[in-house]
This record gives sequence, structure tokens and C-alpha cells, in this order.
Amino acid sequence: MDVVMPQLGETVKEGTVTAWHKKVGERVEANEPLFEVNTDKVETEVPAPVSGVVAAILVAEGSTVQVGATLAVIEEEGKPRAAPASDAPLSPVVRRLLAEHGLDASAITGTGSGGRITRDDVLAHLERRKSAAPAQAPGGGDTRVALSKIRKRTAEQMALSWRTIPHVLQAVEVDFHAVDQARLPHALTYLPFVAFAVCRALPEFPALNASLDGDVLVLHRRINLGIAVDLGGEGLIVPVVKDAGEKSLTDLARAIHSVSEKARSGRLAPDDVTEATYTVSNSGSFGTLLTAPIINPPQVAILSTDGVMQKPVARGETVAIHPVGVLAQSFDHRALDGASSAAYLRKLKQILEERDWAADLRGF
Amino acid sequence: MAELTYRDAVAAGIAQEMERDQRVVFLGEDVAAAGGVFKTTVGLLERFGPGRVRDTPISEQAIIGAAMGAAMTGLRPIAEIMFSDFLAVCWDMIANEIAKARYMSAGQMTLPLVIRTANGSGARFGAQHSQSVENWAMSVPGLKVVAPSTPADVKGLLAAAVRDPDPVVFFEHKGLYATKGQVPDGEHVDRLGTAKVLRDGGDVTVVALAAMVPRALEAAERLQREHGISATVVDVRSLVPLDTRTILAETVKTGRLYTVEENPRLCGWGAEIASIAAEECFYDLDGPIVRITTPHVPLPAADALEDGAVPSVARIVETIRRTAG
Amino acid sequence: MPTATKDAAKNTAPPNTAATGLALFRSLTEIRLLEKRAYDLFLQNLVKGTSHLSLGQEAVAAGFAVAMRRDDYTFCTYRGHAHTLARGAPMVGILGELMGRKCGLMGGKGGSMHLTSVPHGAMGSYAIVGAHLPVAAGAAWSAQVRGSGQVAVCFFGDGATNIGAFHEALNFAVVWKLPVIFVCENNQYMEYTPIRSVTAVEHPAADRASAYGLERIVVDGNDADAVHGAAVAAIGKARGGGGPSLIEAMTYRYSGHSRADPAKYRPAGELEEWMKRDPIALYRARLLELGTPEGALREIESAVQRAVDEATEAAKESPPSPLDVIERDVWADGGSSWRN
Repeated sequence: MDVVMPQLGETVKEGTVTAWHKKVGERVEANEPLFEVNTDKVETEVPAPVSGVVAAILVAEGSTVQVGATLAVIEEEGKPRAAPASDAPLSPVVRRLLAEHGLDASAITGTGSGGRITRDDVLAHLERRKSAAPAQAPGGGDTRVALSKIRKRTAEQMALSWRTIPHVLQAVEVDFHAVDQARLPHALTYLPFVAFAVCRALPEFPALNASLDGDVLVLHRRINLGIAVDLGGEGLIVPVVKDAGEKSLTDLARAIHSVSEKARSGRLAPDDVTEATYTVSNSGSFGTLLTAPIINPPQVAILSTDGVMQKPVARGETVAIHPVGVLAQSFDHRALDGASSAAYLRKLKQILEERDWAADLRGF
Repeated sequence: MAELTYRDAVAAGIAQEMERDQRVVFLGEDVAAAGGVFKTTVGLLERFGPGRVRDTPISEQAIIGAAMGAAMTGLRPIAEIMFSDFLAVCWDMIANEIAKARYMSAGQMTLPLVIRTANGSGARFGAQHSQSVENWAMSVPGLKVVAPSTPADVKGLLAAAVRDPDPVVFFEHKGLYATKGQVPDGEHVDRLGTAKVLRDGGDVTVVALAAMVPRALEAAERLQREHGISATVVDVRSLVPLDTRTILAETVKTGRLYTVEENPRLCGWGAEIASIAAEECFYDLDGPIVRITTPHVPLPAADALEDGAVPSVARIVETIRRTAG
Repeated sequence: MPTATKDAAKNTAPPNTAATGLALFRSLTEIRLLEKRAYDLFLQNLVKGTSHLSLGQEAVAAGFAVAMRRDDYTFCTYRGHAHTLARGAPMVGILGELMGRKCGLMGGKGGSMHLTSVPHGAMGSYAIVGAHLPVAAGAAWSAQVRGSGQVAVCFFGDGATNIGAFHEALNFAVVWKLPVIFVCENNQYMEYTPIRSVTAVEHPAADRASAYGLERIVVDGNDADAVHGAAVAAIGKARGGGGPSLIEAMTYRYSGHSRADPAKYRPAGELEEWMKRDPIALYRARLLELGTPEGALREIESAVQRAVDEATEAAKESPPSPLDVIERDVWADGGSSWRN
């Protein structure tokens, strides 16, 4: 499996690999430290996601790479890399095709018996390579980039949602001063606090934690919070924290971190991306003011959090400089109206600005 | 179109040609008055008379020799050898004389004759009456070799054989005589040297002849249904001349070649095709060429033994399933 | 006199017309001189492989050839130079074929044992003993079906009377009443073995005739008139729809079975006895006796010698067969392709 650069903070976009703890060919156990990363905030030891043998190290010590980039490959037991075993001979047609196209057998996944590379495997690889490779349009200088599978899926879902759901956008401005007081000492990001506030507010507005099934609105008992994760240009994926409403702030923070990590390192199980009842899309790291997010059907709403900036705010008669950010919700106007959405947003704002966060963090 | 049995198609083919060309004559054992031991030539004596349709003594060398003498002097004889096993009795006439006369005379002689014979197993007649010997004829330069699998092909290829100016050994399959098929009305003439693709599939190419053709087709159905393996089936029909173009094109298409042969293993007709493919399509092969044949033994007589020896549908399916990966 | 000729004396025909006599003499002379030349060329290593000569047996081929129609068919054995020449095939073609030259009757494709000249009705010389008997029957059947009146004459040796194809062909020809004449040249030896020691009956062909319902006919194979007379009778019978005949012609070969054979198996004196009844000498003497001018005979002899010499030179000058004929004429289209 591929080991990727994790996102070690809300605003982190890249990291520098400062040290490898294992060499190619060495065995590593799951959770054993594999490498160290320096981001602009944090120096972190990153554990191996699985047990196995380090098959390849793709990024040298001292290199800086984007979040999500593949750094190394671990070959797990019982799951050999799809390179041909040394005793699975290449057939004449396979040899010819490899030679004609300058391919290495190790680049091809074999689906024949015993993992043999078949003619069709090579042809399929060539097809994929052709569709993935940018082709030059004659004389235009344009580049044609074929969409990846994840991007294609995302695109389909977005288009479907946009076509079928009448989106309405509402937004509130939130003063994150109280949240800052609580989170900074613990190096937490804003996201867990927003998520926690969502989980406290949704029970009062059950129509938002719901799914539209034809002309029936299904009000969900559980709050399964989808956390939209950006895969570094490859598309979006929304892992789900199940029963988020029952978690403490600290547990929720850990759970969010965990699913995000899994998402970025490609370790999500099918269970991890299903049954979301409400989605939070965190665009904070992009530094934008406002985003109108697209709802994930069959959900009826989605919340976007954008950049938090120091701004002048009114405090009674004086002006203070506080961190301020916009929360914007897109809701499905077939399922609910502006009044209840607005009331929900006001509730969120109130929780974020007035809750005794220190109490939630006692013992963290 | 009309539905004919394979055996009726033989008589229809002979009759078509005898009607068309007065030079066509027909001789063999029990072929005239009795209409043939397999009832393949019923009605010909009545229709064309004893001058052109003649019963012979049990004298294979005389029968074939006479066909040769008649062919070199202006007639177009069809000679029947009752069982293809008996070709051995007159093999000198076929392999040493007929096959070579034109060549040795530098083209002075032309021998437009057809030797038709009942080939193959399934009748439980035992080792000396059940052989598939089309590969014997294939191996002698100067003989054209045909083995049809359907009534339409019987009539069409027999007509083509009679019209061909060269000696043709025409292998009917005794196990197919009772099978039925659609035959075009009116004059029906096929072409020697042409194979037919009877089924199109992308995973493997199966090349078969005569009675092995319906078995290959049935095996292809089962392979698709039960194992998701999609097979092209080619009926070779003509061993000499051989339609290598079709066979090789279908081999390249899938990259996997199988032959299904009723003859005993060594030097069966499929060995030659495998050799040609290995030489000319080597860089298109995605796996070994596999021949599915009867083992290299004389055929046993008991029904279970005969069926166990000759390639069965089950054996064809299993062999391909096991090796196609 | 060898005992074999006792029966033969009974079948001596009356003398022929003068023209027929000269034709017979010419044919005898041509065969004798050509075969002698073939012998010489073999010793000079210009004729490769092997050669089976008819020296001493000329009268059989000559006698029948003169009796036949131009469009009749002949089939003979690998000892077939005589028969092919007697039907009118060109000498240069025969010598050229023996020497593997382009001018050969078959361009070098067939060789000595397979001389064929279809335009002359010489429908092949056959090297598998007995194989051509059924073929001759087939040619006769063809003539019968077509109603052309042609006959087929089939020459074979004493050894062939013991092979299966002989018996099949005889029975077949009789049952279908085919216009074919089977002529056994009994030269006393089956290759290296005296025919008597391997045959159940004294006359290997004639004593089998009754088994097929045929008349027993033995002729003096060294007497061209006797042979000619028997031929005329049998051919007439066949042409008239009377069916086949089996004729045994008693004769002797001077050389061994083939060039490889010095024939040491012959009893002392046997050859010399037969040479006293040399067919050419015998016929020459008879013609002179009947009043033919010596000059006429000498003219024939020198003309034939000239022809043999010219043919020899022409054949020697002809180039060896070109290699491109190797893959030609398997099929009627002139090619040999078995695939596309």
C-alpha cells in the first residue's frame, strides 16, 4: 500500500520529510514509526499504516512534498505487489508489447492465473496510460487531462446534486474568540469545535439531520457527520464520523482527525463513507471568505466553514480585534425553509461564541 | 433451403454433379443396387443407370486404380471406399500413383477424381472400422483433403471436389450421417480451401474438424455459461488446401489456440496447424498452443471406452478452462 | 531350344504384309539401338540412378505397338523405354529424361522408371509392381463409357502375376468386360529370382487365365510376328466388345534386372541359348527370307542409328532441368500450394 504525506493540521498544505526510520527491504510493523515530517507548525513522527516490507521509498530525506503525495510503498504479507513473480513467465505477445511500448513488467498488474501478466493486462495498462496522459491538441498548445476515477465520481455526484436539489445558501458570521481561547493551548483546529456545535444544534432542528426519500423526509435519530476531505487535487471524499452527537469534544476531535487521516492515506473502508446524515465541509485552509457548498444527496443540508481572520468587531461600545469567520449552509429548499435554516445557523453561532469550551476540554 | 440429413446430402451432391456433367461416373462396393452400406447413395443407380453407377467386387486397389485410369482418360470418377480404414488396402494407388502421376509426368496427366469414404468413430465398430485417417492423406503431397461437418457442407464441398481438376479425398464422418441441417435449394457449390468461423469469441480460438465441430460448439457454450470464457470456433473443413489465413487471423485475435482432433495424437492434423501458428504467430501468442486429441492408441470397441477415448465435450471444456488463464 | 517356347510355336501367326514387316523391323531396331545407347550412357555416368533395359525383349513392345491404333492406351512397367519409344515418343525426350535434362519427356521430374507421353497414348511407366493393371482397366472402362472404341494394353513382368493388384485387375476387367489386354512379358526372372521358384503354376500368367474365365494364351515373345498376331486378335476382340485378354509372351532379358545387377544368378549357358533366338536377328533373317531387299533393311538400320546419334547429341546439349520445376505441377493449376 502507498504511504502518503498526511495533513497534520488544518492549514497545512505540505510537509518536509526529515528522516526515514526504515530502509527499502526492511520490515516494519503497523504503527511503528516509519518517518518524520516537519510542517510549518509541527514536527511529527508518522507511523506505518500497515505491517510489511518497505518496497520503495519515493521521497528522499529533506524533500518537501504536498499533502497526499505518495512517499513510500509497503508490501504487505499475503498481498504481494502486482508485479510478476519471478517464476511466472511472460508470454511472447506480452514480451513483444512490453518491448514495443518501452514498458517494464513490474509496472503491469497481472490478472492471469497465478498472477500472470496476460496480453489483455498489458493492453489495459496501455489504455489507462493513454487516457491518463495529457495529449497535445494539434497546433493549439492545449493540454488534455483525463479525469481520474475519484474526480469522475465526484463530478457525477456534484452534477446530480446540482441538477436535482434546489440549493439555498444562508450564512452567519461567527466570532471565534471564545473558541480560540480554548483551542490554542491544545493546538486544535476550528473544525472540531464547529463539528461539536453542529452536533449540539442539530437535535433542535431535526429536519436538517434528515434525508429526502421521494416525498418522504426521513428524520435520522443518529448524527453521522460527514467530514469533507480534499484529496489534494484528486477530488473530494467524505468520510463519516458515526454517532458524532454522542461524542465529547475531545473524542470528536480525535475521530475527525482519524477519518481524515484514513481518507488521505487511502485506508477508508466502505463503511467509513456511508450513512452520513449531515456534512461539514471545511474550506478554512483555503483562506476564502465564503463558500456555497453542494449538498450530498440524500442529505438535505451541508455546512461550509471558511477562513478565520482577525477582524475588528464591536464589543459593546469599543472595537476589538477578534478571529472572525463565516459559516454558510446550503439547504434543500424542498425539505425545509429559510426560517428554520436561519434559526439553526443562529444557534450554531450562539454555541460557538458563548459555550464554556474550557469545561469541554478539561482533562484533554 | 431444405432440411437434409448428412447422408442424404451425399447423394444430393453426387446427383447434382452427375446431372450437370456426363463425364461424372461413380463406382464402389454396394453403392449402386443397395444404395450404399450407409445409405448414402440411394437412388443414383435408378436415376443415372448402370453405365455410370457401378457396383464393384471387394477390390479396393482395382476400384481406385480404375478411378485413376478413368480420370486420366477423360472421365470424372467418384470412387467410394466403404470405410476410411480401408484406404490402407489401396494406399499404394492413392499415395504412390494418384498423388504423384501429375508431378512425375510434368503435368501431362490430370486426375480429376474424388475418393469418398466414411471416416471416424462412434459406431462401436472397433479399431479397424472407426479410425480418423484424414491426417494420412494430408501428409501426402498431391492429394486434396476435405472433411465436412454439416449436410450443407457435404453437398457443397462434394460438388466443389468433383469440379476440382485434382484428386480429392473426401472424408465423410459416419457418426454424422444421421445429423440434419439446412441445405440451400438448387445448385450448391462450396469452395475447397476455406474454413468457416462458426462462433465468435474473444478469449480463445478453438479449431476443429468434422464430428469434433459440434462438440467444440457445445463446449464453447458451456465455457461461456459456466466459466465466462468466450471462444471462437473455427471449422477447418479443408485440410488441403488449408485456409491458414483464417485460422491464423482468429488465433491472433485471441492469442490462444486450441485444436480438437479425433485422430490419434501423433502427427494429427492439428499438429501441423499448431506448428504453423507457433512459427507465424509466435509474437501474438498469449499462452501455449494446446491440442485436444484422442490418445495415441487404437480405438477400443466398447461404447464407454470409445467415448472415453475420443475428445468429449466435457474434456474440451475442462482442458480449456484449466489452461486459458 | 528353351522349353518355354514349345507352347509358343503353336501360336505363330502367318507372315505379315510387307509394310507391317518393315514397321516391325523398324520398331525392333529403334528399341535395340536406343537401349544400347542408354546402356552406354549409363556406363558414362550420364544416366544417373538406375535403368531397366529391354535388351532381348524388344519384340513384345514392337509387336503390340504396330498392332495398335494411335489413340489406344498403353501402360507399362519401369522397364518401359521400349514401350514408350514404340508408341512414337521422341528419342531425344527419352534420352533426355534418363539424363535429367530439360528436354526430357517429363523434364526430369519422372526419370527412367516413369516414362510418360500422353500425346502418344503412353500413359505412364509404373514402378510399383502390378499397380498399373487396375489403372489400365480404368482407362479401358473410360473408353467403354465413352463408346470410343479405344483399348488399353497393359505390359507387366512375370513377377507381377503374384501381387494382389494383378488378381484384382483381372477379375475386375472380366466382370465389367473391359477392353483391356494384359500382356505378361515372362523373361523367366522376378528380379533376381527364377519365377518358377516363387509361383504355384508353371506359366505365371497363362496358367492363371482360367481362374478368371479367360483363354490360356502363350506366345513366343521373341517372334515379332507371333506377338503381332496375338496382339491383333486380342485387340480386335476387345475393340469389338469381347472383353479382356491375358497373353503370356515368353522372352528373356540380356542384361540384369537393372544396371546394378550383373545377373550372376543365371545358369551357365542360358543367356547364350536365348541369344541364339535374338528377336532382331530372327526377324531380320525372316524378312530377308521373305524377299525384303537387304538394302531396305540397312537403310532402316542406318537411319535409326543416325536418329539415335542425333538424339543423343541433342539430349547431351540440353541443360539440366532448372530448379524452378521442383514446386510445379503437383496440381492442375501448375502449382504445388497447399495453403493460403
